[in-house]
Amino acid sequence: MERFVFDSKIKNVLFGFMGLGVLCLAITFFIDDELHTRFWTNFLHNSVFFTGIAFISLFILSAFITAWAGWYALIKRIWEAYSLFLIPGLVLMLIVVIGLWGGFHHLYHWADAEAVAEDSILLGKKGFLNKGWYTVGTLIIVGIWIFFATKLRQLSLREDENQGMNFAVHRQMRVWAAAFLPIAGFSSAAIIWQWVMSVDAHWYSTLFAWYTGASWFVSAMTLTIMTLILLKNLGYFAKVTPEHLRDLGKYTFAFSIFWTYLWFSQYMLIWYGNVGEETIYFRERLDNYPVLFFGNLVLNFVLPFFILIREDNIRKYGTMMFASAFVFIGHWIDFFLMIKPGALHTAHETLAHHGATAEAAEHAAEAGHHAASTFEIGFTVPGFLEFGTMLGFLALFLFVVFRNMAKAPLDAVNDPYYAESLQHHA
Amino acid sequence: MENSNKEVLFGLYDDEEILLKAVSQAKADHLNIMDVFSPFPVHGLDPILGLSHSRLPTAGFIYGAIGALTGFLFMTWVFTADWPIIFGGKPYFSAPAFIPITFELTVLFASVGMVFTFFIICGMGPGAVNPILDLRITDDKFCIAFDASHASDEEVSKYKSFFSATGASEVNTKTI
Repeated sequence: MERFVFDSKIKNVLFGFMGLGVLCLAITFFIDDELHTRFWTNFLHNSVFFTGIAFISLFILSAFITAWAGWYALIKRIWEAYSLFLIPGLVLMLIVVIGLWGGFHHLYHWADAEAVAEDSILLGKKGFLNKGWYTVGTLIIVGIWIFFATKLRQLSLREDENQGMNFAVHRQMRVWAAAFLPIAGFSSAAIIWQWVMSVDAHWYSTLFAWYTGASWFVSAMTLTIMTLILLKNLGYFAKVTPEHLRDLGKYTFAFSIFWTYLWFSQYMLIWYGNVGEETIYFRERLDNYPVLFFGNLVLNFVLPFFILIREDNIRKYGTMMFASAFVFIGHWIDFFLMIKPGALHTAHETLAHHGATAEAAEHAAEAGHHAASTFEIGFTVPGFLEFGTMLGFLALFLFVVFRNMAKAPLDAVNDPYYAESLQHHA
Repeated sequence: MENSNKEVLFGLYDDEEILLKAVSQAKADHLNIMDVFSPFPVHGLDPILGLSHSRLPTAGFIYGAIGALTGFLFMTWVFTADWPIIFGGKPYFSAPAFIPITFELTVLFASVGMVFTFFIICGMGPGAVNPILDLRITDDKFCIAFDASHASDEEVSKYKSFFSATGASEVNTKTI
């Protein structure tokens, strides 16, 4: 049976990129302001992004198993391997947690006890936005996700050893998958509020969790397309045809539109309502991040819409690779926009509060009137260090994925839908 | 399909797999198939029959684009020229507020346009005459039809031997 061989050539490339990532993180750390805001925002940004992709892969698997989908059986090992990145993902997020307790970073305004004490809004949210809940939420929620990921993987591997037409294992998988769906829905929302939305601690939007989840979904799909094409070029997944590619493209297309729908719904209601506490979120981004703000829409809506709408494009490996790469970067930038402005604002305020050094006083003066209104690489646009860090995290992600992929046969021949997947015709 | 007094020789098959094999066989034998009927879309039939992709989606895209333009321009005209009203302190030309209407009209134009185009292309709709070869084609039978109006006896026997060779459960003739 065909197995993925994680040879030293691929390993060396991945190690190279991981080295680049570590180097970029180190450089960022040393050229940073005294709170290391740029370093920590980059760390949080990429950790959340890739952990989210792992979570969404598990969600996709569960949804497909529950829906009795057949076409994905050929490529389900990719998503199984993706979902196992949740374990390193938890470690990455625990580093953020440790930084929270140790006071190493000032990503979250609500973590600053002095600021909370004199801020009625933060006081009101204290019951949820506090270090304890952040830690417990991260541990329990990602813990549950890891449990389901390993459970589904275990059952899927047990299915491989199954002989004959025995669907007992698959029935078990169906129960676990169905049980995970509601858990995934509620828990992902809670974790997104804590990890991402609370960066802008004063602000909230009820749509935010869905919007972020949709962003994760498209990122996971585009990354799947790129990994699949890469593996196909290496000679694996020979049975995967443009028909399967079309289904992956269809999901990318559909969820790009879904993302745009949520993005616009959030934007338009806030724009129309015109309530100061809410509009500040978009005011900040429109004033200081206009290129990214509109670029985000172009990369994540206009580009996939016009490329993937055509039936012939969606079946071509080259076109799909190109479109996926751009949309993937687009959603990475989307997360950049979610995290950077709020964290920078918090950093400025913290520096103004505890402003002792000369540099801090400078920052404080800036923060007084229009925080973050100046052009700053690493904050208002991603610089080379940000992209380097992203490549490092991507290499880590792929390293974990390939390692897990090499542990099992690539073809889940005993999956009841394997035959259906083989002759899939979209 | 118009009523053209065509004499149609058709064979009924019980299963889509048999139908697919028969159609490939007919193509290999260079038999001129008039049409194939099935109760549901049969996967893989179009490429064997050599049918090109439908251009209906392209038409749909054009209708949608027209709808989007209509919606956006109409809203712009209403709120800047015809009946300017200030809502919530927003400027007259407020693009975000026009997007929902633009979206709705895009969907409306695309869907209605595609339905009517489809009806016209297929000759369907009120008053259309739809000759049916066999009622069971809409239920559980698969049909391959040959135009036998001008076929010689030799050709007809060739068709018939084709039907018996490929496992047709029934062979009939009907003038439509």
